[in-house]
Amino acid sequence: MQEKTGVGELPPPPEESKAHGRERLLVCLGPSLLSLRLIRTTHRLAAAQGAKWFALYVETPSHERLPPEKSEIVSQAFRLATQLGAQVVKVSGFRIGNEILTFARENQVTKIFVGKPLKGRWRRLFGGSLVDHLIWNCNAIDISVISGEGEGEGEKITAAPARSKISIALRGYALAFGGVGVCTAVAGVLFFYLSFTSLVMLYLLTVVVVSSSLSRGPAIFSACASVAVFTFFFVPEYWSFKIANPEYAITVIVMLVVSTLISELTARIRYQARVARRQEQQTAALYDMSQHLGATDSHHTLLEAAVEHIARIFDGHVTIILPAADGDLQVAAGASLPDDVREAMVARWVYRYGHTAGAGTGTLSAVRGIYVPLLAMETPVGVLRLELSQPEHLLAADALPLLEALARQLGLAMERDKLCREAREAQLEIEAERMRNTLLSSVSHDLKTPLTVIAGSASSLLEGENALDAATKTELAHTIYDEAKRLDRLVHNLLEMSRLQSGQIRLNKEWHVLEEVIGNALHQLEPQLQGHPVKINLPADYPLVNIDALLIERVLINLLDNAMKYTPSGTSIEISGRLQDQEAVLEVADAGPGLPSGNEERIFEKFFQSAPGSSRGVGLGLSICRSIIEVHGGRIWVANRPESGATFSFTLPLEEGAPSLDQDLPEIKDNQGYEASHSSH
Amino acid sequence: MKLRILLIEDDPQIRRFLRASLPTQGYELLEAESGREGLGLVAAQIPDLILLDLGLPDMEGIEVIHRVREWSNVPVVVLSARDQEREKVATLDAGADDYLTKPFGVGELMARIRVGLRRSSQAREGSKETVFSMGNIAVDLEKRQVFRGSEEIHLTPIEYKLLATLIKYQGKVVTHRQLLKEVWGPSHIDQNPYLRIFILNLRRKLEDNPTRPTYLLTDPGVGYRLRDQEISGL
Repeated sequence: MQEKTGVGELPPPPEESKAHGRERLLVCLGPSLLSLRLIRTTHRLAAAQGAKWFALYVETPSHERLPPEKSEIVSQAFRLATQLGAQVVKVSGFRIGNEILTFARENQVTKIFVGKPLKGRWRRLFGGSLVDHLIWNCNAIDISVISGEGEGEGEKITAAPARSKISIALRGYALAFGGVGVCTAVAGVLFFYLSFTSLVMLYLLTVVVVSSSLSRGPAIFSACASVAVFTFFFVPEYWSFKIANPEYAITVIVMLVVSTLISELTARIRYQARVARRQEQQTAALYDMSQHLGATDSHHTLLEAAVEHIARIFDGHVTIILPAADGDLQVAAGASLPDDVREAMVARWVYRYGHTAGAGTGTLSAVRGIYVPLLAMETPVGVLRLELSQPEHLLAADALPLLEALARQLGLAMERDKLCREAREAQLEIEAERMRNTLLSSVSHDLKTPLTVIAGSASSLLEGENALDAATKTELAHTIYDEAKRLDRLVHNLLEMSRLQSGQIRLNKEWHVLEEVIGNALHQLEPQLQGHPVKINLPADYPLVNIDALLIERVLINLLDNAMKYTPSGTSIEISGRLQDQEAVLEVADAGPGLPSGNEERIFEKFFQSAPGSSRGVGLGLSICRSIIEVHGGRIWVANRPESGATFSFTLPLEEGAPSLDQDLPEIKDNQGYEASHSSH
Repeated sequence: MKLRILLIEDDPQIRRFLRASLPTQGYELLEAESGREGLGLVAAQIPDLILLDLGLPDMEGIEVIHRVREWSNVPVVVLSARDQEREKVATLDAGADDYLTKPFGVGELMARIRVGLRRSSQAREGSKETVFSMGNIAVDLEKRQVFRGSEEIHLTPIEYKLLATLIKYQGKVVTHRQLLKEVWGPSHIDQNPYLRIFILNLRRKLEDNPTRPTYLLTDPGVGYRLRDQEISGL
C-alpha cells in the first residue's frame, strides 16, 4: 500500500535474495491486511538467513465470496510477496490447515508464519483455530504466530458494496424462500396421504434443488428455513415450534444436520466445477493465443493479434508499448494511452525493472492501467498495458498470473519474430552485396562499349577534319548519336531497377487506355522499329486499366526492344490484348527463333542473358519488366510459339470502378450548359 | 534582327554545346549560370525565348517561371532530367510553354524553339486563319466543321472543343490540367481518365492508325500536343 504514494520517485523494486540457505520459510496469506505485514516480516527473516521462502494462499470456497476489497488485499499480498522474492503458490482446498501442512512437508519447509487471528473466538471452542490446528499437527516444523495488533484491520479499506451484487444475493434468497414455500404447499396438500418421514424427504429434496442451483447463502438459508417451517407446520404440536415427542426431536435434528451437509457439499461441488471451468478457460486462452501468435507473419499483425486477443479475454483496452528507435517508449499497437503523465511513468518503470505494476497490483497502483513487462530472455522488450472496461472490477487474484503468462508468450513470440527478421535481413544483405558486385562488373563493361565508340568516333571527327569526306563525317556523327541513345536507355533501366529494388517506388496509378500506352511505347522505339512491321490486335472496347502508365510503357519498350534484339530484321512483331478471368492479358509475340527451352523462368532473372556476351544490354530489361508487373499485381511469362518465335505475356488485374468507354458520361452532360455558353471558337 | 534566346543553365558543358549549335541556326544566345542572373537578364535584355534548366543551384525552376510570368509572356522552354517528371508538369502548369527531356537532339530543340517563337508572334499579331489544315485533316473554325479528305467527320461538341483547343496551341504540349480546364471547366481538372477516353475517340475518328497517331500525339505523363506542321517524325 505504501507504494501508492510515491509515484513521482518511482523507486526500483527490492533486490531478490540470491543465496538460499538451508532454511525454508513459509508464510500463510489470508484476506487480511495482516498478510502484508506477515510477508514483510518473513522477508526480513528470510533475507537475514539467506533462506528460500514461500508465500502460500489456500483458496477455499469462501474466497469466492470475498468482498472486492478483500480480494484486492490478496492480490496485493501476492504482488508484494513476488517482489520481495518469495515463491508464491496458490492451492485450492477446503481445509486450510491441512493444505498448509501438506505443502510445507512437500517442500521441506522449516518454519511457518501465520497471523494471530483477531476474531473467531467462538470458533476456538469448536475444532480450534487454524493456529491451534497447525501447532497440534506440525511435527518438526516451527510455527511462528505474528500478531496483528495495531494493524487496524479493515480500517483503510472503504467498503464499496456493489448494488448489483446485493440485488443478485437478494434474488437468491427470494428464490430459496419461494422453493421452501412451494414445498410447504405441496406438503400441506399431501399431509394426509404421506407419512411423517416422507415429508422430511420432500424438504430434503427442496434443499438439494435449491443448493444445486443457488449459491451457498441461499442454500443454507433453505436448509434452516425448511427445518423451521417443517417443525412449525408438520411436527406435533402443529402450528407451533414445540415438539411433542422426543422421537420427533431427533428427526428434526437429523433433518437439520443432513440438510446443512447437503447444502454445504453441493456448494463445494459447484465451487470445484467453477474452479475447473476457470482453469480450463485459462488454458484455452493461453493455447488460443499461442495458436494466433504462431500464425502471424509480420511484426505488426503479431501485435494486433495479441492486442485483440488479450482485450477479448479480459474485456478491456490493451496497449502494447515498445521502445522506439531513440529508446523512448511509444505505443506500438492497440488503444492510445490516457492523457495522464503518470501512466507513461509507470510504463517506463515497468520497462526498466521488468516488474508488473499499476492498478490492482499493489505497486504504483494509482494509475488506471495494469502494466506487465514483455520479457524475452528475461530482458524487458516492451510493456503490455491493460485497462479494464469496468475499473471497479479489479482483476481476480488469478487473472494477473494469466495476464503475465500471456505477456510472456507475447514477449517470446516477439523475440522469435525479431530473430526471424534479423536472419532475413542478413540474408538480404548478402544477396544485395552479391548483386552489387555483379552489377558493377556488368555495368562497367556495358558502359565502356558505347563510351569507347563515342570517344573513338568523336576523336576521328576531330583529327580527321580535313581528310574525311562528308559521308564518313555524317556516318561518324550518326554512330555517336546512336550510341548516346543506347547509353541513355541503359542508364534509364539502371535507375528504374534501383528504384524498383529499393522498394521506394510509388506507383502513380491512373486509369489508362492501353491503346495509348502501346502507342507511346512504339513511338519511343520509332527509329529502331523500321525493320520490324508491328501488328496490333486490341478489341475496340478494351476496358481501361488502373496502372502507372510510364512503368507499363517501360515494360512494353523492354519487351519490344528484346524482340528486336533477338529476331532477324524483317520479321513481324504482334501485340495483342484479350480479357481472361478478371485480368487483362497483353502479349508481345515475335517471329524469331524462339527461346532455348529451359530458360523460360531464368530470363526474368537479373543479369541473365540467353547468349552471354553476344548481345547488348546487361540483361536488366526483362527483370525490370517482372518487377514492374509484380508491383502491379500481375504475372509475366514467356512461351515459344508453335510455329516459330516467342510470346511474352503479362497480366494486369482489372479493377472495379473503371471509367466507361461509353461517351454518355454524367460529367459531360453536366457541362453541356458550360459548353454552350462558352462556344466562342 | 536576330532573335535572342536566353539560356539559364548551370552546367558548362550543356552551355558549351548550345553555344556551338544555336548561333549556327541564326539565333543570338544569352547565357546565365543561375536563376538570379537569368532573371536579371530577362529584365535587362528582353529575350525572345528562354531555355530554363530545372536543376538550378539557387532557385527552383517553378519560382523562376512565377517571377518571369509576373510581368512577361516570353515563351519559356524547360529542360528537365528524367527524374524531374513532377516538377516538369508543375512548371508547365505554372506557365512554362514547353519542355525537353535530357538528353535531347538539336532537331528537337529547334522544333520547340520554333513553335515557341511562332506562338508568341501569333499572340502579338492575332491569328486570322479560319481554316486549319494538317495532312488530310481540315478544320473550318468558323463553321465548326471537320473534314478528313473530302468527307465531313461528325464530332460531338466536346470532341470539337478538344480539337479546337489543341489547334489553338498547335505544336506545343498542353498538360492534362490545362486541357481539362479549357474544355470542361476548372472543376474538372482531375478527370484525366475521361480526357484519355475522349482523345481515344478523337483519334479513332481522325487518325489512319489510332494506335500509332500522327496528329494527336501523347506526351506520356504530361499531356497531349497536336503535331506541328514543320516537324516530322518527332
